[in-house]
Amino acid sequence: MSDNHSVIGRSVPRIDGPEKVTGAAKYTGDLKFPNMLYGKILTSPHAHARILSIDTSEAERLPGVKAVITHKDVPTLKYGLSPARWDESIFCSDKVRFVGDKVAAVACLDEDTCYKALKLIKVEYEVLPAALDFLHAMDEGQPQVHEEYARNINTEIHQEFGDVEKALAEAHHVRTDTFVGQRTYQSPIEPHSAISMWDAEKLTIYSSTQSPHYFQHYIAREFDMPMGDVRIIKPYLGGGFGGKLEPTGLEFAGAVLAKLTGRPVRTFYDRAEMFAHNRGRHAQYMEITTGVDKNGKILAAKANFLMDGGAYTSLGIASAYYAGALLPLTYEFDNYQFDMFRVYTNLPACGAQRGHGAPQPKYAFESHLDNVAADLGIDPMDIRIINARRPNTVTPNDFRVNSCKIKECLERVRVMSDWDEKKKNLPLGRGIGVATGSFVTGAGYPIYRTDLPHAAAFIKVCEDGTAATLYTGSVDIGQGSDTVLCQMAAEAMGYRYEQMKIVAADTEITPLDFGAYASRQTYMSGAAVKQAGEEVKRQILEMASVMLGLPADDLECDDGQIFSKSRNVKSLSFEEVARKHFVLRGPLLGRGSYTPPKLGGSFKGAAVGTSPAYSFGAQVGEVAIDEETGEITVVGIWDVHDCGKVINPRLLHGQVHGALYMGMGEAVWEEVLFDDKGRIKNAELANYRLLTAVDMPPITSEVVDSYEPSGPWGVKEVGEGATNPTLGMFSNAIFDAMGVRVNSLPLSYEKVWRALKEKREREEIAKREDAQRGLAPQVPVPLETVPLESEEPVYANPS
Amino acid sequence: MYVPDFEYHAPNTVAEACAILAELGDRATVLAGGTDVLHKMKVGKLAPEHLVSLKNLDELREIREEPGRVVIGALASHNQIYTSQLLQRRYLSLPMAAHTMASNQICNLGTVGGNIVNGVPSADLPPILIALDASIRLTSAKGERTMPLEDFFWGSAQTRMEPGEILTEISIPDQQTTGSTYLKFGLRRSGALAVAAAAVSVQVSGDTLHAVRIVLASAAPTVLRVADAERSLIGRRIDDELLAEAGQFAAQASRPRDSIRGSAEYRKNLVGVLTKRALKKAIDEGHA
Ligand SMILES: Cc1cc2nc3c(=O)[nH]c(=O)nc-3n(C[C@H](O)[C@H](O)[C@H](O)COP(=O)(O)OP(=O)(O)OC[C@H]3O[C@@H](n4cnc5c(N)ncnc54)[C@H](O)[C@@H]3O)c2cc1C
Repeated sequence: MSDNHSVIGRSVPRIDGPEKVTGAAKYTGDLKFPNMLYGKILTSPHAHARILSIDTSEAERLPGVKAVITHKDVPTLKYGLSPARWDESIFCSDKVRFVGDKVAAVACLDEDTCYKALKLIKVEYEVLPAALDFLHAMDEGQPQVHEEYARNINTEIHQEFGDVEKALAEAHHVRTDTFVGQRTYQSPIEPHSAISMWDAEKLTIYSSTQSPHYFQHYIAREFDMPMGDVRIIKPYLGGGFGGKLEPTGLEFAGAVLAKLTGRPVRTFYDRAEMFAHNRGRHAQYMEITTGVDKNGKILAAKANFLMDGGAYTSLGIASAYYAGALLPLTYEFDNYQFDMFRVYTNLPACGAQRGHGAPQPKYAFESHLDNVAADLGIDPMDIRIINARRPNTVTPNDFRVNSCKIKECLERVRVMSDWDEKKKNLPLGRGIGVATGSFVTGAGYPIYRTDLPHAAAFIKVCEDGTAATLYTGSVDIGQGSDTVLCQMAAEAMGYRYEQMKIVAADTEITPLDFGAYASRQTYMSGAAVKQAGEEVKRQILEMASVMLGLPADDLECDDGQIFSKSRNVKSLSFEEVARKHFVLRGPLLGRGSYTPPKLGGSFKGAAVGTSPAYSFGAQVGEVAIDEETGEITVVGIWDVHDCGKVINPRLLHGQVHGALYMGMGEAVWEEVLFDDKGRIKNAELANYRLLTAVDMPPITSEVVDSYEPSGPWGVKEVGEGATNPTLGMFSNAIFDAMGVRVNSLPLSYEKVWRALKEKREREEIAKREDAQRGLAPQVPVPLETVPLESEEPVYANPS
Repeated sequence: MYVPDFEYHAPNTVAEACAILAELGDRATVLAGGTDVLHKMKVGKLAPEHLVSLKNLDELREIREEPGRVVIGALASHNQIYTSQLLQRRYLSLPMAAHTMASNQICNLGTVGGNIVNGVPSADLPPILIALDASIRLTSAKGERTMPLEDFFWGSAQTRMEPGEILTEISIPDQQTTGSTYLKFGLRRSGALAVAAAAVSVQVSGDTLHAVRIVLASAAPTVLRVADAERSLIGRRIDDELLAEAGQFAAQASRPRDSIRGSAEYRKNLVGVLTKRALKKAIDEGHA
């Protein structure tokens, strides 16, 4: 494969840049249709309650109200995203299971009337005791969230590979640590919104979705319609991060309201409702044990996890499997045990958030690994390099890893961050930490069982050859896939990016693609696009061969010019050849599709976490800690990734910055907090602390030269993987700065302050005792060998 | 979220505004920048029948120097205070306090008057204004009165405002202080309310403190001046120990509660640290 690419590998401007920066881009919530109504959903004020009665009569009488619906007016079929557990209803009929559960909906002439109408719906509840603490949700006597799932167990996983007990018995050092991860929420800038409308028996929904295909599939299923009669269109979209992967009440209730009124209905969430709908990161209790040899080589690892799923499954079964499945990627070890319970609680449902399942376990594992390194007196960078995965290896859970440059990433980030120097010379209060991450490049299997290809694409060249339009079901949610895929199409065709147009994410016009999740599009959609582009190019060369009287295999097409590889003859323009093709042979079209090979082992759950390729990365962060307040200042972050061939460097580094931004938030600043009634205390952006531009530290982002043999032009992923090291990196940098470990996320200023205070108090006591015993004061021990301070895991901020 | 229905008034003079307020009594709420009022209405904490907007009262936006004092109109926005050359020259600590607030958008709308009348203990401007000995003027159909800003607050979101009154101006008297500052501890660098904050003003000569004011935000149900800590400093030689001691006094005097932004214990600790650091800064750097 030649490295001489004309279009890929360049930071071309985003294809949607002008529309977005001028404000011309229309998002779902901006769209208006003649006669459009506004719809809103009434939600439960209780975490757990029986519905005794619902009286909608007063709401129906309010002027401007066009329809009021409850469970009586909608299909009762349960839905969900993970087929193994469809447990959600359009509206609750017997019980509500969290504050925010869906009870009824209205369609009105305007937004204000919706809010007024919701207040007029009278729901009588019998409040039930609620299961709010996931650590105890499986206990005897806890309230049952769903009668059919005993002890609130939603998912139970027990996997063992190799012989863990034997390896631990033979290990030089065995250590166990426990950590707790908090609930966070994706908080995309654009609130969820959907506009539903019917044309006879056909349903069209404009939706802020990450996957028109899954929406189409699940909506057709819910309403018992042929898929072909459901059309999902994704307009411009302002971020999803996993939170817009599944259809919600907005689509289901909106479709019913539209049907009843015969008018388009726009349904939407406000910010607080977004938090209530949630599907963000699970809270998680994580116990990690490893056994290492005397050099720090990991011989066996055990992960024992418990996850707070909230009231419904969403994509949570996959989250639960991912949490353990992705752990053995960055480091090589043969013996691995993974146990997990995902439990139901009477809290909003959790799902897939950027880095799906991986960031918190990575936080736990990377913090633990630093503890092990400290026990053995090994530099944290060295212990990672010693254990780093090699290319062309297979994980204990049967994931085949082709390209893998994690070792090179670590070696490079060590130099970039000046690791060795800083490790020696940083004063107390300054610290540096390292962590690694890895992620799937697309899931090996679809979310529901199907043998359909994962991605497909068409390219239509304009009759005079001056433009080519890429039709793809892939979904640009802000990450830039429209741009990257147009680059890939132009590259494959031998055409120019500037002449590309794109029509994407409209199930009626564009061919199937599973959408924006699992970091799959550059690789999987890209593979389909490349194939389509190559088909166009083949036809162009055949046509040019006729026009020039030269054999097609002597011709090449690049940057819109067709020329002979061996002879010095006049070249033809892509335009003239394309036009001739249209005249003589009809429309110039290219088609492509992509299906991954069969992947993974045969044990239960073996499919989750499989991928045709894995990205790798290493991050170093430097922090300064104010001892008196616990305030953490991020001095700098250095990130090195192995993400295969880079199609658009600027977009790639943008993804790294964005992932770091989210990872930083999860590490120190963000947490969804609940009161003792299961209500969210900070369902707004003042006290749910997303970072701001001025909080961002200097970031140095680099890639290592890498080529993934299975991917189009050698690509892999970056968008989600770059979130995975960040939490652990912060934990380790703080540990390095202060010699104390905070064992629960977020690593808030207050927790850091408290850990330091407790450390000082312990030292005071020790000093006093020494003095009483008449001992001379001890020489301070170097930080790495300070015994571990293990704070009780705290789930929520004291408040 | 939606704003419940209300009737809207936009009088053109202070007198007219006072007349409308006198007539409507407690059915009306004054609207300045609206960044507190509209939020409360949206979340259902406030549902006035009438909103009386002050937006046409341009004379209340002025920041000017007069003999013996600096006058700030109640409608001056946070960004106006931040960018005022007059305030930057005379009392830089006040523009810097305004700069710690909210976000740029809110700072274009939010007013100093609203920040005071709203009366919450986390408001950023009252502490530094009290440290600078500011007083306020209240106007109503019945006439005018002035009072030290310090006396205006008396409980959680409780002020001495009478129905029908409008806050028209804030006045900072010419003074002997040699330095002042406001230190706020927020949980991110922009758009964060104070977990705790301390404003101080000092009058230093040689190496002793002749006068000092210490005023805390987010440390009690109301903005809090800590006289004990102030007394502990007067006439004593300035050194780090003394400032740490003042911090201890301030922490002891504070009465924070557990909140979503921090535990009472943590916030008490912050009060001590911030007081100590604010004193040091005001002593070393003047009005900053
Ligand atoms: C996102 C956001 C962030 C914020 N961040 C901060 C922050 O960091 N620090 C901070 O201190 N505050 C913050 N606030 C609160 C708010 O912006 C300030 O308190 C602001 O100064 C209020 O001024 P306003 O003009 O908007 O007041 P309004 O909302 O118009 O009024 C507030 C109250 O004062 C009364 N009022 C206003 N002006 C007068 C007057 N002249 N006479 C009589 N009564 C009057 C009103 O009737 C009302 O009761 C924030 C608010 C938001 C929405």
